Amino acid sequence: MTGNGHDPMRPDLGRLVGTKTLGTDIKLFQIELTEPAGRQHFNDYQPGQFAFVSALGVGEAPFGITSIPSQGVLEFGIAKLGSVTDALHSLEVGETIGVRGPLGNWFPMDEIKRKNIIVLGGGIGGAPLRPVINSILEHRNEYGRLTILWAARNPSLLVFTDEYAKWQSAPDTELHLTVDRGDERWKAAGRNEGLITQLLEKVSPSPNNAVTITCGPPIMIHFASLTLKKLGFSLEQMWTTLEARMHCGIGKCGRCNMGEKLVCADGPVFRQDRVAGFLESFL
Amino acid sequence: MKVITQEALKAWLDRLAGETALFAPRSVDGIVLYRPVSRSGEIVFDYTRPKMSPKEAIFPSTDNIVSFEKHSQDVTLPEPALEKQQVVFGLRPCDAHGINVLDAVFIGREPVDLSYARRREATTLVGLSCPQMWEGCFCTSMGGAPDDPSHMDVLLTAVVGGYTVNAITEKGKALFAGLELSELTGEPPHPTVGETVPVMPVGQWPKRFTDRYWELLAERCIGCRVCTYVCPTCRCFDVRDQVAERRTNYARYDRLRCWDACTGPNYRVTAGGHNPRPTKGARLRNRFFCKFYYMSQDYGPTGCVGCGRCIEACPVNIDIVEVLHDVSKTSVATEVTA
Repeated sequence: MTGNGHDPMRPDLGRLVGTKTLGTDIKLFQIELTEPAGRQHFNDYQPGQFAFVSALGVGEAPFGITSIPSQGVLEFGIAKLGSVTDALHSLEVGETIGVRGPLGNWFPMDEIKRKNIIVLGGGIGGAPLRPVINSILEHRNEYGRLTILWAARNPSLLVFTDEYAKWQSAPDTELHLTVDRGDERWKAAGRNEGLITQLLEKVSPSPNNAVTITCGPPIMIHFASLTLKKLGFSLEQMWTTLEARMHCGIGKCGRCNMGEKLVCADGPVFRQDRVAGFLESFL
Repeated sequence: MKVITQEALKAWLDRLAGETALFAPRSVDGIVLYRPVSRSGEIVFDYTRPKMSPKEAIFPSTDNIVSFEKHSQDVTLPEPALEKQQVVFGLRPCDAHGINVLDAVFIGREPVDLSYARRREATTLVGLSCPQMWEGCFCTSMGGAPDDPSHMDVLLTAVVGGYTVNAITEKGKALFAGLELSELTGEPPHPTVGETVPVMPVGQWPKRFTDRYWELLAERCIGCRVCTYVCPTCRCFDVRDQVAERRTNYARYDRLRCWDACTGPNYRVTAGGHNPRPTKGARLRNRFFCKFYYMSQDYGPTGCVGCGRCIEACPVNIDIVEVLHDVSKTSVATEVTA
């Protein structure tokens, strides 16, 4: 009755080994797991999976994993938005942190091999897409053209800016940026201003042999899918990862249901035609 | 069928209370609730339907699921203590069905929830049949019956001078081993049953999702969440940490799992402020769909056992039986039963 004896609600302990500012109130957390069982759990996670990160004494919250296993260190991009993330942001390097996972399903990285891939990231929604990008770059010749559309409300919220040069210099890879409202420097440089949907129409990627991978606020996911449809993409070509409030990540707490679907256990990665078929809207 | 006398049962319960934790119907300020008892004299035998289900014996309203101990900078997670054996006495057949639903969620679907499973394994269910269906009861419409032994370890049924003993599982048989029981003379009693409520087949529910009915029904809902509190199958929970102890170079944090309710307004709000279920109607609909559709899709059993507690508890008379009648009407139900 008690399964394999592992308590899925027990976090693995780790140490915060590094942080980096990614944007206004957004930080990258680098975690080294300190227990053998924890290292085993995170030995082979996949792009799109998530984990709960604990600030001990405050609580835990779910975040998309933003690293890939070959990096060694486990990374999360976390915006400061509530009690747990406030506490995480105030942790010092060297302090103990809890991690529980990896949880949920992942992007079909094998199924989309040899296809052209369009990645659409909005704000902190870029965090769970970074492992998709880095995993494609790691196996660059196994995938077709990679087009990254990266957006944020303003330039200070664009995440992973120090990796743009690496992404752009990879073969057959392009990066397009936009912000809802540019600052003086942004405007002076004549860079794209407007929503990701406008950028999408401008870049106008071909739907031939292509799939899209989107993460961002629900409203962005919705309108991006409408624009993609206009560009000739079918819902079956679109993949997305959804956010939901959750407290267990293992299909027990009841918090994340959209109709009979559980975002934690049936997702968080869904094909857009399945999202469209949800009894209850994610919007 | 074997019978135990009232006196022998009380003596057995007294002995049991000395050996193991015992939960039983007990009068608390005039209200019968399942509570820990230390002797049979504290137990109420003549009760209808306790206000709360006994789910809290296995799934407590606040449960410490993980602890962290911090000595200077060194953090450890102490191993949980072994669960004490416990007997829940006097649960009603609908409550055993309720525990079966919780089992399906916490144990039946991988991964197994260890803190629930450990407590469940250490628990023996000794039920007591209802002599009749009480006001609001509709267990017979939800696959149960006032004398249904399903999911029990032992089911007792009151007869003249005592109780029949139906020991179903090995765990249950072990509890009654060695007791002197007599043979039942005459017929076992048959409980009186109430009307059958029309329950719309599972597959029909999705068609009613967009009915205006849910918003109309919810106009009077005040989001108090008592329906989920008294429900034997509601299992939604929140998880929070609390500082349990803090002194120089030492701190202990407890991670607490607390009951929560999908009918509360902030239930689905994310840290960014997005609420995909922003109306009362959508939230109330979720509760009914969870009972009659989602649970069966995600875990197997139907999520309602027909105990009627939510009907009795609702301060604005939202009545699950009325809802079942309303949605089973062939026309789209847009009017709320007055």
